Amino acid sequence: MERNKILTGLFGKISPTSINDYIEHGGYSALKKALKIKPANIIHEVSESGLRGRGGAGFPTGSKWGFTAKEISDQKYVICNADEGEPGTFKDRLLMENNPHLLIEGVIIAAYAIGASEAIIYIRGEYYESIKKILKAIKDANKEGLLGENIEGTDFSLNISIKKGAGSYLCGEELTLIESAEGKRGHPRIKPPFPAQKGIFGKPTLVNNVETLANIPFIIAQGAKEYKKYGVKNAFGTKLFTISGDVIKPGMVEANLGITLRELIYNHAGGVLGSKNPKAVLLGGAAGTFVDASMLDISMDYDSLAATNTTMGSGAIIVMNESRSIYEMLHSILRFFKHESCGKCVPCRVGCKQLLLQMQDLEKSKDKNAVLDELLNEAKYIARNSLCPLGQSPVLPVSTAIRYFKNELISK
Amino acid sequence: MSKNISITIDGKKINTTEGKNLLQVALENKIEIPNLCFHRKLSPTGACRLCVTKIKNMRGFVTSCSTAVTDGMEVTAFDEELEQDRMHTMSLLLAEHNESYDHTYPDELKNLKEKYGLDKIKARKHKPLKTAINHKADNSSPVLTYDSSKCIKCFRCIKACEEVQGKSVLNFHERGLESYIIAGTGIWSNSECDGCGECVQLCPTGALVEKPHRNEINLDKIERKVKTTCPYCGVGCQIELFVQNGKIVRSNGIEGVSPNDGRLCVKGRFGYDFVGSNERLTTPLIKKKGKFVNATWDEALDLIAKKFNEIKEKYGNDSIAGYSSAKCTNEDNYIFQKMMRVAFGTNNMDYCTRLCHASTVTAMLRSIGDGAGSNSIEDFETTDCLFVTGNNIIETHPITATYVKRGAKKGMNIIVCDPRWTPLVKYAKIWLQPKLGTDVALLNGMMHIIIKEGWFNKEFIEKRIDRGMEAFEELRKLVKKYNPKMVEKITGVPAKKLYEASKMYALAPTAMIATGMGMSQQVTGTHNVFSLLNMCFITGQIGRERCGINPPRGQNNVQGATDVGVSPLNYPGYIPIGNEENRKKVAKIWKVPFEKLSGKAGLTTVEIMKAAHDGKIRGMFIMGENPMVTDPNLNHTIASVKKLEFLVVQDIFHTETTPYADVILPASSFAEKEGTFVNSDRRVLRVRKAVEMPGEAREDWKILLEISKRMGTEIGNYKNASEIFDEIAKVTPIMAGISYKRLEKGSIQWPCPDKNHPGTSTLFLEKFNTPNGKAKLNPVDYAEQSEKASPEYPYILNSGRILYQYHSSTMSRKNKSLTAFANKSYVLIHPVDAEKNKLKNGDRVKLTNIRGVLETTVEITDGVAIGELFMPWHYGESLVNSLTRDELDPFSKIAPFKLSAVSIKKAK
Repeated sequence: MERNKILTGLFGKISPTSINDYIEHGGYSALKKALKIKPANIIHEVSESGLRGRGGAGFPTGSKWGFTAKEISDQKYVICNADEGEPGTFKDRLLMENNPHLLIEGVIIAAYAIGASEAIIYIRGEYYESIKKILKAIKDANKEGLLGENIEGTDFSLNISIKKGAGSYLCGEELTLIESAEGKRGHPRIKPPFPAQKGIFGKPTLVNNVETLANIPFIIAQGAKEYKKYGVKNAFGTKLFTISGDVIKPGMVEANLGITLRELIYNHAGGVLGSKNPKAVLLGGAAGTFVDASMLDISMDYDSLAATNTTMGSGAIIVMNESRSIYEMLHSILRFFKHESCGKCVPCRVGCKQLLLQMQDLEKSKDKNAVLDELLNEAKYIARNSLCPLGQSPVLPVSTAIRYFKNELISK
Repeated sequence: MSKNISITIDGKKINTTEGKNLLQVALENKIEIPNLCFHRKLSPTGACRLCVTKIKNMRGFVTSCSTAVTDGMEVTAFDEELEQDRMHTMSLLLAEHNESYDHTYPDELKNLKEKYGLDKIKARKHKPLKTAINHKADNSSPVLTYDSSKCIKCFRCIKACEEVQGKSVLNFHERGLESYIIAGTGIWSNSECDGCGECVQLCPTGALVEKPHRNEINLDKIERKVKTTCPYCGVGCQIELFVQNGKIVRSNGIEGVSPNDGRLCVKGRFGYDFVGSNERLTTPLIKKKGKFVNATWDEALDLIAKKFNEIKEKYGNDSIAGYSSAKCTNEDNYIFQKMMRVAFGTNNMDYCTRLCHASTVTAMLRSIGDGAGSNSIEDFETTDCLFVTGNNIIETHPITATYVKRGAKKGMNIIVCDPRWTPLVKYAKIWLQPKLGTDVALLNGMMHIIIKEGWFNKEFIEKRIDRGMEAFEELRKLVKKYNPKMVEKITGVPAKKLYEASKMYALAPTAMIATGMGMSQQVTGTHNVFSLLNMCFITGQIGRERCGINPPRGQNNVQGATDVGVSPLNYPGYIPIGNEENRKKVAKIWKVPFEKLSGKAGLTTVEIMKAAHDGKIRGMFIMGENPMVTDPNLNHTIASVKKLEFLVVQDIFHTETTPYADVILPASSFAEKEGTFVNSDRRVLRVRKAVEMPGEAREDWKILLEISKRMGTEIGNYKNASEIFDEIAKVTPIMAGISYKRLEKGSIQWPCPDKNHPGTSTLFLEKFNTPNGKAKLNPVDYAEQSEKASPEYPYILNSGRILYQYHSSTMSRKNKSLTAFANKSYVLIHPVDAEKNKLKNGDRVKLTNIRGVLETTVEITDGVAIGELFMPWHYGESLVNSLTRDELDPFSKIAPFKLSAVSIKKAK
């Protein structure tokens, strides 16, 4: 594999529908290696690599595997979260469309490591192409004996099936996804219990994002030590960033964690479209944070971003040039949350509607400072009191929009 | 076992057990953390977010409803920040809420709103969103209404339906602010909702409210709330009746007590209107020149005393017989049997139990010495394997079934054995569908497999079976020929299924049996239950917790009526009358000369009718029974009753039987008297007076005492029902320790031999109730039915009950709520047979055989087997029992209601 490309190295070099292509390029060698290693050692290796969840929360993957592995149960599950719904995010789709076997290989290794015999890939329903390619990949891997009964002649068997999401943003949240995968309405579950203890159908379940699992073959094949050569402290490896909005060359890029926002926008996306500097960048999608041009040199890693109360989230980078209205953008985000709120808990169900009304008040009100205070208080209240991450999200764009663009909002 | 721990809430130290729900712990300790979506019976939801707390070493706010307590937990339940956010949450809730209130339902949100001063609009943070939301309502159910403008989306109704009742009919539609509750796919009346109203009871606001009496009920004007026992099936649910203007206007399940823990079925919640029906009998009636005319009590009672004395004198004591009633209290039934034995001097008395579980009781008494269920209702949820045979438990014992369904959800293995599809099949792992009347062959086949595979329990057989392995060898020999192939030929049950079922039952760590009318109401009823018991014994699935055999009782007090001695063979407490010592003991307590008590076994239900036909019985007293619907071979029964010289019927309504009476006496319903019932798990439950009797109606036991007195024999002086019960306790060793005073604190399961005994939840843990303490194997062979399909009568008719009607429907049909769900007779027929006879759904058909004929409506379903038909027997206009036989099971004298050969033809 090409150096500095852990995930996208084979994009365009292999036919995504050919398992042979993938195998010829070293594919499934990590799986074969893994099957000769004790599961505990695989988990150790993943922990050592410092890999953190790429869905947005950044939870250490090795720990999550460890929790699920230590549960004793007649049945365990791996669920791959491929319900990519965060606005501005399309990395998982490109991964599945360009190299579906990389994900399948990651899923199989994860299942082997935690002792699961069933895996489910929960794919966003609109991802027709991904679904097609993943189904083909599963079929081919079965044919090759890399999946199914007694994989590679070992005692380990695994069945992978897919479930299609039906258009709810919230179903990308892991506990809601589990409900939905059980065939129920997309309502979030309360924690505890965590999926590691009681996940799908009450069984221990590991839920990982597509990109997270796609890192696994490299870590197993090359070792944690090699993996840690990528990225920076507390944020090892590469990350898929999807850059959209007012840039000259929108698209996805795989880059080392710790790359600066400036490099991403100017070196990889060709610079800002329509103005020299961006007016604002929205990091992480709707459940993300605004920054302004003063933040372009920030290192894109978990700790650096957290230190400035911003987030990388899913890796979405939405660039806005000088002509864009922050008010319109924030209003649009709040409309989105109101629309996607499932209605289960009161703060989010009614609160998201209130945020929208307060945004509208901003236009009419004379005391705009007071309205913004109210808006921020309401968003903070919702975050404190909501049941699931959806309600905990609006405060991110609201607080950062106010932090960086208060003057513009007041002059609305 | 859970560890004892201590936690602190707002500095207050609380001792509790590890793992308990934090909110529950707080509430139990009078720390009133506000909450709306939480309910003790439901899994935590975390939707309303009012119960947020702060817990040391945990991040952010934590909902107490979703937190399990751990040792040393330090909780802040109330501080300014939490209270501010709670008010914020409530302000949001109120913004989407329709706050109009019509005093017809308890409103938890309104109470909280007032507590926090948010009834003042100024105190709220948010403006109303009413116009922003498109509210929905559903009025289509006969028993409840849904109004989304008052719905707080707390999930309690959804979970009540799914987790408590196991029905899963409700869910949300739409999303977010626009979401609302729907039943099924959208319209309540088209859904599978069966009207139990659990959702209504658990709704914290006015979103779901009972429909009946909504226009008159005012919760501020309720005169009294009376805790009592449901008058329908033998589960014995505890209900609370709301009385307004002297009328019952609502019935709620009582939370937190056995057997139902607040759960009810549609009958228990909505079936009380019969009490206030204007069709109630309100005055004694005497038949004069073929017509009933109003009479005074004196006229009626004197006539009755005179007539019965004349008959006694002319034909002897045993020329009189009585039918007592499983719908009446223990006290009524006790006085009834005392009247029959002392004033009439005969043991000719029986009641519907003869037609119900007589064979079960006979077999159980002979094998294990007790005729009652060995377990408690809660065990139906916790046993590992449940074998349900001939028992449509979801319809006939709906609340027992809630335990079963909850168990199924947790993985309990259910085996249903029924010739007909019943709703429990949906929850079962295996459904065995034997041909009607082949149960002994099926069970012998199961034992054949169990023995062959070595799945029997040798230790149990040696220790607890009479003659141990020797008796087992006899059984082994008998079942040897019942190989799966032969059994498949007789029963139609595939060998593989039989094998799976045998394995599942025999190897389960614990297993219980629920047996119903399908087993008992056959000519071979006693043998059926012997076989069932044999299987239970050789596998050792009895005599331990969560193991045993249970015949859920059909009526509210079938268990009690026999317990207190309405039996041709036994005194109260199953003491045989034939034994002189027994007679002496009873005579002494009753203060009557020992010679006055007859030691001659009395006649049973159907025998009484036959004797009437033969002129041996000349006078009859029927209390609260309706044999003209419930007895087999009705045309013969009618002829028998017509031959009686004198018939008294004491009831609350005119029935199919009252036209044949000479005197009709107006009696009391369950809601008008004090007393007790005994339910299926031997639980003695209090019945309490809620409303006055209509007109001149009287309490049943008072009428009986008066008749005895006027016949010249005082049988006792009782100030009230409590005193009668004290006498019952004296005569009945199994109830010796029970009194009204103790029952005030809660129900007690017999045997309860003394005042300090807590009652008995599981029978036979130490020994069986037989002379040597051991169970008796009774190997029995399969015998072919004498009634068979013939070219003339090619179909075998099965009969049974449905959820919405009860017994001969004298009570249930007087409730609009129940008749709205079901009020029409039908016959189920397999599509193949329908096609053969060119029948369509809804066609009127005539069912005929040598005994009678009836008309009903066709319903086509593959839920019955080819060649078999099924009819509910509740309906007087299509009397199923005009087709049934009075050929009796020789041991128990039960009649074969489940198997009659008939023809089916389109009615002209």
